[in-house]
Amino acid sequence: MRFGEDVAGPEDQVTVLRKKKARFRTVLVIGSEFADTEEKKMPEKKSQRWAWLRAQETGLAIPLVLLICIIGLVNPLFFDPQNIIDVLRNTSFMFIVAAAMTFVLIAAGLDLSVGSVIAFGGIVGSMVLAAGAPIFLGILAGVLTGAGIGFINGFVVVKFGIPPLIVTLGMMYAGQGAVLVVTRGTPVYPLPAAFNAIGQGNLAGIPYVVLIAAVVGIVAHIVLTRTTYGRMVFATGGNAETSRLSGINVNFVNLTVYILTGMAAAFVGMLMASRLASAQPGAGAGWELQVIAAVIIGGTSMFGGSGSILGSLLGVLFMNVVSTGMIMMRISAYWQNLVVGVIIVVAVGIDQYRRRKVA
Amino acid sequence: MVTADKILLMQNIRKEFFSVPVLKNVTLELAKGEILGLVGENGAGKSTLMKILSGAYSCDSYHGEIIVDDVPRRFHSTSDSEASGIEMIYQEISLHLDLTVAENIFLGRLPRKRRGWVDRKELHTQAAQALELVRLDLDTHRRVRSLSTSQQQLLSIAKAMVRRPKILVLDEPTSALTESEAETLLSLLRGLRDKGIACIYISHKLDEVFKIVDRITVMRDGTIVANYRHGEIMAEKVVEDMVGRKIENMYPKCQVEKGKEVLRVRNLTVPHPLSAQKNIIEGVSFNLHRGEVLGLAGLVGSGRSELVNAIFGAIPTRGKPEIYIEGQLVRISRALDAIEAGIGLVTEDRRKSGFVGTLRVDKNISLASLKRFSKEGFIKRKQELSEVQGYVEKLRIKVQRVDDSVLTLSGGNQQKVVLAKWLMREVKVLILDEPTRGIDVGAKVEIYNLINELAQKGVGVIMISSELPELISICDRFLVLAKGRIQDEFDQAQASQERIMKAATGLTR
Repeated sequence: MRFGEDVAGPEDQVTVLRKKKARFRTVLVIGSEFADTEEKKMPEKKSQRWAWLRAQETGLAIPLVLLICIIGLVNPLFFDPQNIIDVLRNTSFMFIVAAAMTFVLIAAGLDLSVGSVIAFGGIVGSMVLAAGAPIFLGILAGVLTGAGIGFINGFVVVKFGIPPLIVTLGMMYAGQGAVLVVTRGTPVYPLPAAFNAIGQGNLAGIPYVVLIAAVVGIVAHIVLTRTTYGRMVFATGGNAETSRLSGINVNFVNLTVYILTGMAAAFVGMLMASRLASAQPGAGAGWELQVIAAVIIGGTSMFGGSGSILGSLLGVLFMNVVSTGMIMMRISAYWQNLVVGVIIVVAVGIDQYRRRKVA
Repeated sequence: MVTADKILLMQNIRKEFFSVPVLKNVTLELAKGEILGLVGENGAGKSTLMKILSGAYSCDSYHGEIIVDDVPRRFHSTSDSEASGIEMIYQEISLHLDLTVAENIFLGRLPRKRRGWVDRKELHTQAAQALELVRLDLDTHRRVRSLSTSQQQLLSIAKAMVRRPKILVLDEPTSALTESEAETLLSLLRGLRDKGIACIYISHKLDEVFKIVDRITVMRDGTIVANYRHGEIMAEKVVEDMVGRKIENMYPKCQVEKGKEVLRVRNLTVPHPLSAQKNIIEGVSFNLHRGEVLGLAGLVGSGRSELVNAIFGAIPTRGKPEIYIEGQLVRISRALDAIEAGIGLVTEDRRKSGFVGTLRVDKNISLASLKRFSKEGFIKRKQELSEVQGYVEKLRIKVQRVDDSVLTLSGGNQQKVVLAKWLMREVKVLILDEPTRGIDVGAKVEIYNLINELAQKGVGVIMISSELPELISICDRFLVLAKGRIQDEFDQAQASQERIMKAATGLTR
């Protein structure tokens, strides 16, 4: 910091400040005659340079990094490569579902059936595999099952106008029931070794699952931000009536987002079956709320119209870091849900506060 | 000026938002039994001043004094303001839609029996009396949701009246009302004035303001620029004061040669939105030519909006209507069909159905043209941005960057965004439903100019407006709707407010 520099007058003051800005990037002006400088549009460049700081995702990335540092300080084992890989793998399963859920929430929908679809899709696909079908066909069977369930969700929501909360809540129970009917409560195994390798193997130390999730995430991000479909999802969720009257096929959007979550959930069901070498009837139990919580913590609006895949990734990471971190800091597991609950409310509270400030 | 019977004095009010001054030393006086018209462009500071008066901005957030009845007051919240006898009636209606009429009127002050039970009988008797004050004939048991906008507006005035206010502040109270309902409201206000209640009347509808007020105060850029007493008010002078520049011709109109027929509507019937047996539009037929601006007049509830929404495929029709575009029969069962046939609709309520609040300006403008910017499912962002930029400049939409939030724009600029959306589609027929509602004078003129320009390019324009002077000056031909049918049709040469009102109230034929 430097003090003392003569200026000839207000005009000159601005030129001096401009020069400073060019040199130091940011100039903090303390003074009572700010109007002068403001009129010359001094802060113009600055607002763009620091735009990332105001971005939705930064609000979560900073606490996330802080949290990781704190956990690491308390228990350096957190930074153990094996632990990092474990956290990433757990994150990956949930992230794949969260990526699809981001579409649903941005479209102002909600899908509570993903937990059940994880189980049901995994079971159906595994049964096909156990019957001796090729691996590709088994996974396809699982994913198509999820797509079918998603289609039913979306169809009922669009066609009969029943709120998604009710439709997918019903589907959540129906899915759980279907799992028990089909399996009578017992896991499906054995599964082909080549299939199990997907969930268990890794490439240069990085689990396949993490790589798959990365691909899913990148594709989801591109679809959401760069394609017409993504734009339609944002528009529909932001204002369905305006979108409809602008020629956007709102029903198509509302139908397909549920197919996306159904497919993603069932696919994760298959990955989990592969990881455990068996399809568990209880897989994905309670995931619907964890996934929704993570997406919302990641800054996606519950009212539709805004959100991002990157935010959801951070949200899922955050949830997993918290739960792993608490174990590593030797905090009783009983505290976990309590902490997550508080985090959800605080995260949404911060988000709403920021929105109000912008508006 | 006002002296002895002064009821309100707002003195040296100064307020800043983020060090930008929005009110610069404003002093406003109001006498008992006076109706003061407060006019000014959007952003002139009227709303801010009234929010200060209503306590919506706490007394710690501005400088200056508020004196009601010679007593200095400090309002920390709206209830403080209400307690000193100030009632606000806003443009946006703030009623509880799922409560009954009576409950809304007496919300927070329901008549009680012993032990705190609500005295239902008394409630409805009193409510009926309150409705009589505003000459509204309604069952007090009805849910407010089922009322029309104008009924709701009158109801909120009734609600304010039962609180026996000393000062009534009305912000665009007639924007949802028909001409005759507005007339009722104005005579109601005159009655209140005679009872000694003071009114501050904010409106963009100057003719209405001129009709009712005793005094008019013009605000511009956070200051009061002029005061006129009733006798000395001159419309052109006031408009000049508001915008700070001369508007030579408030309603610019170019004569355009009528082209070939672009739209023909035959036998359009639209079921009533609230009652399944009734039709709000009954077998209406008309046509529209290239370069023609067709004015659609009618009172609220006459089915003007329903008519155009049905043409656009936004609401269902009944029977076998036929719509021809350039002589070709088109089947329109949803908005997309209409858009593809070359029709655009600027709806009545831009917030609800004109723009998407969560999308930025650029994405709102390209919303109806996604196909054009789409290549194998991806959006050609560069092309999108450059075309959007073109329309932003052409329509002079005031944005810092094209990805500003639409919500931060003024009403006029928001409306221009909605218009840009349809211009980008290069529509053949553009339907404008109250395109200048709630926007400032400057933006209005720009929109009139734009309509002229479109007509010159051969676009057929249908315009709905409740502001008759505007409608008469802008349109070439008029259809007047009432009781679901076209009651009268005439050219600009024969047009007059009286003729339109006669037909709209069903006096013609």
